[in-house]
Amino acid sequence: MLTIDKLRDFGANVEEGLQRCVNNEMLYLRLVDKAIHDPSFDTLREVAEKGDLEKGFEIAHALKGVTANLALTPLYTLICEITELFRNRKKVDYRPYVDSIIAKRDELLALFN
Amino acid sequence: MIDAILKNDTRKRKILIVEDEFVNREILSAMLDSEYEVICAESGEKAESVLQSQAVELSLVLLDLNLPDRHGLDILRGIKENPRTAKIPVIILTSDKEAEVECLNLGAIDFIPKPYPIPKVVQARVRRTIELSEDRDLIRGTERDSLTGLYNREYFYRYAAQFDTFNPDVSTDALVLDINHFQMINERFGKQYADEVLVRIGKAILAAVGPSDGIACRLRADVFLIYCPHIPDYQAFLDGVVALACGEDKGRIRIRLGVYSDTDKEVEMQTRFDRAKIAADTVRGSFTDFIAFYDNALHEKEVYAERLLDEFPAAIEGKQFAVYFQPKYDIRPEIPVLCGAEALVRWIHPELGMISPGIFIPLFESNGLVRKLDQYVWKEAARQVAQWKKRYGRTVPVSVNVSRIDMLDPDLVETLCGLVKSNGLQFSDLHLEITESAYTEDAQQIIATVNTLRDAGFVIEMDDFGSGYSSLNMISNLPIDVLKLDMMFIRSVFKENGNLRILKLIVDISDILSVPMIAEGVETEEQLKALREMGCDMVQGYYFSPPKSASDFEKHIEKWLEAVKER
Repeated sequence: MLTIDKLRDFGANVEEGLQRCVNNEMLYLRLVDKAIHDPSFDTLREVAEKGDLEKGFEIAHALKGVTANLALTPLYTLICEITELFRNRKKVDYRPYVDSIIAKRDELLALFN
Repeated sequence: MIDAILKNDTRKRKILIVEDEFVNREILSAMLDSEYEVICAESGEKAESVLQSQAVELSLVLLDLNLPDRHGLDILRGIKENPRTAKIPVIILTSDKEAEVECLNLGAIDFIPKPYPIPKVVQARVRRTIELSEDRDLIRGTERDSLTGLYNREYFYRYAAQFDTFNPDVSTDALVLDINHFQMINERFGKQYADEVLVRIGKAILAAVGPSDGIACRLRADVFLIYCPHIPDYQAFLDGVVALACGEDKGRIRIRLGVYSDTDKEVEMQTRFDRAKIAADTVRGSFTDFIAFYDNALHEKEVYAERLLDEFPAAIEGKQFAVYFQPKYDIRPEIPVLCGAEALVRWIHPELGMISPGIFIPLFESNGLVRKLDQYVWKEAARQVAQWKKRYGRTVPVSVNVSRIDMLDPDLVETLCGLVKSNGLQFSDLHLEITESAYTEDAQQIIATVNTLRDAGFVIEMDDFGSGYSSLNMISNLPIDVLKLDMMFIRSVFKENGNLRILKLIVDISDILSVPMIAEGVETEEQLKALREMGCDMVQGYYFSPPKSASDFEKHIEKWLEAVKER
C-alpha cells in the first residue's frame, strides 16, 4: 500500500504535494494513484515511436503538469526533459527517454505492493 | 451601505474550473471548495454548456489553455464576445509566458501558474478577482442610466474631469442636447414611445461620440450631456444623431444642441454645461435653428441678467426704481390738452447707472418678479396722483401697466382698489394698461378680471394694440375703454413707403368701437398732423415730452397750466 513515507523515499517532495492538496493525505495518495495509472504513459510511448512530435508534446506537457502539482520530483524531472525535446520538435530517438519515464513510473507503481 | 451588503452576503460564489486533467481539477477543487461552489468541466464542450446554462450565477472561470477538444483561447474569446458571459472574470491556468499577452488582450484578468502555488495564494487570487469584478459591476450598475445605458450625472462629471486630467492639451467641447417640447411627445404618443426615442438618442450619441473618445450622460428626462474633443462644426454630428435617433419620426422630433466650444478648463465642469444649456435655450422652440454656440456676448448677457435678478430685492428695498411720467395729450382740440400720463419705471442702479426697462422687464416677466415691481410702481403712481391732485386742484390721470401675470393674482382687484382708497383717489384717476397679448392667453379668466376692475370704475386701456393677434370679432367683445396703438406700429407706418392706410383703418376701428385711441411713440409734427387728420384722439411721445421724473413732470404740469391761464 502506498504511503507518504514510501513516496518520500521515492524522492517525492511530499510536503509540497500535500500542501497543494490542503494537507489532505488521503486526497494526495488518491491523486498519486490516479496519476501513475494514467494511460497517457503508454500513449506517450506509442506516439514517440510513431514520431508524432506534436501529440508527444501535448501528452508530455500534460503529464508534466500533473507530476509537478503532485511534486513527484523524480518522475517530473524526466518528463520535463522529454517535454522540452518535443516542444522544440527535436528529431531524436525518444525511446530511451520514454523508457526512463516508464521505468520511474513502474518504480512508483511497485510502491503500491 | 454596499460594503455592508457584501459583508453580510453569505451566499457561496460559483466557480467554473475548466481543466482536462483530473488530478489538476481535483487539486484546485480541494483548494477552493470550502469557500466556493465549484463546478468542473473536463472539456471545452462541457465548459460551453455550463457557461450557457449558468452564466448569471458564475463568479469566476479558471481556464486551462490545453483542452482536448478546444483551445482555451477560443473558449476565452467566446466568453468575452458573448454579452451574457462577458462580465465573468477569467483566470488562466498556465505557465506559458508567451500566451499571457494574448490572454490579457482577450480579456483574461489574471494567471495561476502550474505547478499551482500554495492554496493560500490561489485562494487569495480567486477572492481578490471576484471582489474586484463585483465592485466593478456595482460601479457599472450605479454609474449608468438604466434607460439609455449612458453615464448618470455624477459619474459623467467625474469621467469628464478625468478626461481633462489625462488629456490636458486636448481642446474640448461641452454639449447639451435636448428635444423641443419633449413633454408633448410624452403626452401625444405615450411614455413607451417617448422612452424608445430616448434610448435611440442615447445609442445615436454613443455612435457619434464613441470613436472620438467622447463621453455622454442623460442628465434628466430628455436632456443629454456630451463631453468630447473639440470639433469646429456640429451640423454633421446633429444630422447623424437625428438620422439614427428619429428615423422616420424626423418630422415629429426636433432635437436642439447647445455647444460651449473649446471650453475654458479653468471653468468648473458643471458651469461649462450650464453655458451649453444657455446656448441651447436660445433656439428653444425654433423650427429653423437647431444648433447654438455659447459665446462671450451670451455670457455677458447671462451674467448681467443674473446680477439684476440677484440685486432686485435690494433695489426694491432701496427704492432704486424710479417712476417716470410721460404725458398724454388730447389732440382733438386745436391746441392739444394735457389729459394724463403713463407711469414708466426706470432702474437707477448705483453702479450700472440707468438701466433700460427693455432689459429688466422681460427678465422679471420670465420669473414673476414683475408682479412685485408692478405693485411698487402702482403704489408710487397712486401716491403721486394724489399729491398732484392736492397741489393743483385737478387730476392728471396716470395709467399704470398691469402685466399678464398680475392678472392671475387673486388679490389684484383688492390691491388696486386699496390703493385708490388709501390715496383718496377716484377710480378713474388710475388707468390700467393691459397688453393686447394678455387677452389672447387665458382669455376667459383675463376678461372676467378686467370686467371686475372696470365695474369698480377703473379705465382700461388696451396696450400695444397692433402688436398682437386680436381678431376684430374678439376686440368688439372685450371690456376696454381706450385702445393704445403700439409704438412700433407707428414707427413702421411712418417709415418711407409705410402704409398709412392701415393706420387709418385702425383709427376707424376705434371709431366704430366708440373707443378713443392713443398713439404712442409720436415724435414728429408730421406724425401728429397725420394722426390728427385720421381722427386719432390722443398721442404720447417725444414730440410732446420724453418720460420725466416726478419733479420734472410737476414742472411740465405747471408750465401747461400757466399756458392755459394765459390763453
